Amino acid sequence: MSHLSMRKLVLGILGLAAFILVWKAVTDAKLVSPIFFPSPERTWAALVKGLAGGPLLAQTVETIQRMLLGWLLASLVGIMLGALIGISRRARVFIAPTLELLRPLPASAMIPIAIAFLGFSDQMVLVVIAFGALWPMLLATIHGFSAMEPRLYEVSAVLGLNRLQVIWKLALPSALPMILASLRLGLTISLILAVVGEMLASREGLGQSILLASRSFRSADLFAGIVILGAIGLVGSRLLSMAERRLLRWQAAAR
Amino acid sequence: MAMTQAILQAGRNEMAGSVLRADEPRIRIRDVTLSYGALQIIGGISIDIAPGESICVIGPSGCGKTTLLRMLAGLARPTSGAVELDGSVLGGPDRSVAIVFQDYGKALLPWRTAAGNVSLALEARGCPAKERPAIIRELLEKIGLGRHADKYPSEMSGGMQQRLQIARCLAQEPKVLLMDEPFGALDAMTRQALQDEVLSLVATTGATMVFVTHDLEEAIYLGDRIVCLQPNPGRVGRMVDVRLARPRDQLVTREDPEFLRLRRELYDLIKDDHQ
Ligand SMILES: Nc1ncnc2c1ncn2[C@@H]1O[C@H](COP(=O)(O)OP(=O)(O)O)[C@@H](O)[C@H]1O
Ligand SMILES: [Mg+2]
Repeated sequence: MSHLSMRKLVLGILGLAAFILVWKAVTDAKLVSPIFFPSPERTWAALVKGLAGGPLLAQTVETIQRMLLGWLLASLVGIMLGALIGISRRARVFIAPTLELLRPLPASAMIPIAIAFLGFSDQMVLVVIAFGALWPMLLATIHGFSAMEPRLYEVSAVLGLNRLQVIWKLALPSALPMILASLRLGLTISLILAVVGEMLASREGLGQSILLASRSFRSADLFAGIVILGAIGLVGSRLLSMAERRLLRWQAAAR
Repeated sequence: MAMTQAILQAGRNEMAGSVLRADEPRIRIRDVTLSYGALQIIGGISIDIAPGESICVIGPSGCGKTTLLRMLAGLARPTSGAVELDGSVLGGPDRSVAIVFQDYGKALLPWRTAAGNVSLALEARGCPAKERPAIIRELLEKIGLGRHADKYPSEMSGGMQQRLQIARCLAQEPKVLLMDEPFGALDAMTRQALQDEVLSLVATTGATMVFVTHDLEEAIYLGDRIVCLQPNPGRVGRMVDVRLARPRDQLVTREDPEFLRLRRELYDLIKDDHQ
């Protein structure tokens, strides 16, 4: 680990500690009723209890599964569809306006449609996650393909690469920086939609768990769930950053 | 080593073939014109290029040198007339015609190492994965990049990147090597080293070369013949034979009275075009 990233880590931990201290000060001073806002200690206790013997662990696993499945589905469909559209200029011109029209639709607008077709089911939640997380991947892939250096298309023509090879060996790698960034964004969206979906459709998971905790004024359980959600988001994004650094080594070499 | 032998052998066969049908050109540019809309860029060019011959193309900037080369590569289509390769009309890019672009930075894959970039040409022609490493090593060695196989283009100097592009072209095993001002962005020493390497590559592989340059001396040093293009629209102004002994030598050749005479002649020609 370099000197600089060590320093960043230390600063990050200090920031987190300061945040928890402020939190503690606010709850100790009873600025907000403990019914709504638990102290860090009570949250921690609820967290440990819920993970050790309580239902929290199973719910966490459930939510992570949902998130990953939806994200994988969205990534696969997004990148494959994006590649098919992106590789042909005609397809881009033909389809891009429709995509631009659909893209600003919030994923929540999809929920009633998904419910109408699939009811309050796990499949419904999965479809909502996949649909919502699809857009960044799809658009990044299309954009990455269309932004490929035109000279490389000429190189591929002269070398005699077939269309599949152009996609696999030239367009995808050259779009990779954009695609990887979109994968990270897609994972965040997947987590949010997994939680929302669980709340709406009453499916097992952290979303439902924190909703029930809030309805029955178990604020420590509610906050324990939120802490776990934060941790999932952080770890997921960190893992993808690491993968990104590995896959984009050639970019680091340029700097 | 076996690889070099194979390439050398191929080169000899090539030249033996050219003896058999000496009158048939490798490339025939047949009354080619090219227009973008109403604007005529190339206005009727005809040139025959024999197998193994090296042609250099000079002319003022904007006269259509790059456009002509792109037509030879099959990347641009003539509006009328045709380019023939070994007697058949060139309908598009062909693996046996390689082109070295001036902007090596854009023509190389930044996410692949030197070895990976050469490998692309082998993958394209379906060379089995097992055979690739040996061929790649051989080619990189040959072009002076033997110790840099694992470097990314961004870690290489301009000269090394251009060497890499040439190595990738050689991996195509081309019959025709097109070069568009390949050394224009390089310093004088690197330039001379690469000129000599290109000469020796052309000599060993027997490839036919069309080399575009704006440097008169480079054209004389490399070419068997020099085509002087005139602008608006691009057409052949003069064709000059270069009768200098081969192998050429940076010092001896450039001091040859014939070299100096040619330089004078071409300089006067170009100067007229610029007026
Ligand atoms: N795609 C294009 N559309 C319109 N004009 C072009 C195009 N490509 C080149 N030209 C024009 O054709 C002429 C010849 O260009 P080029 O072959 O690049 O010249 P050179 O390589 O000799 O400098 C220039 O005037 C240039 O502006
Ligand atoms: Mg040019």
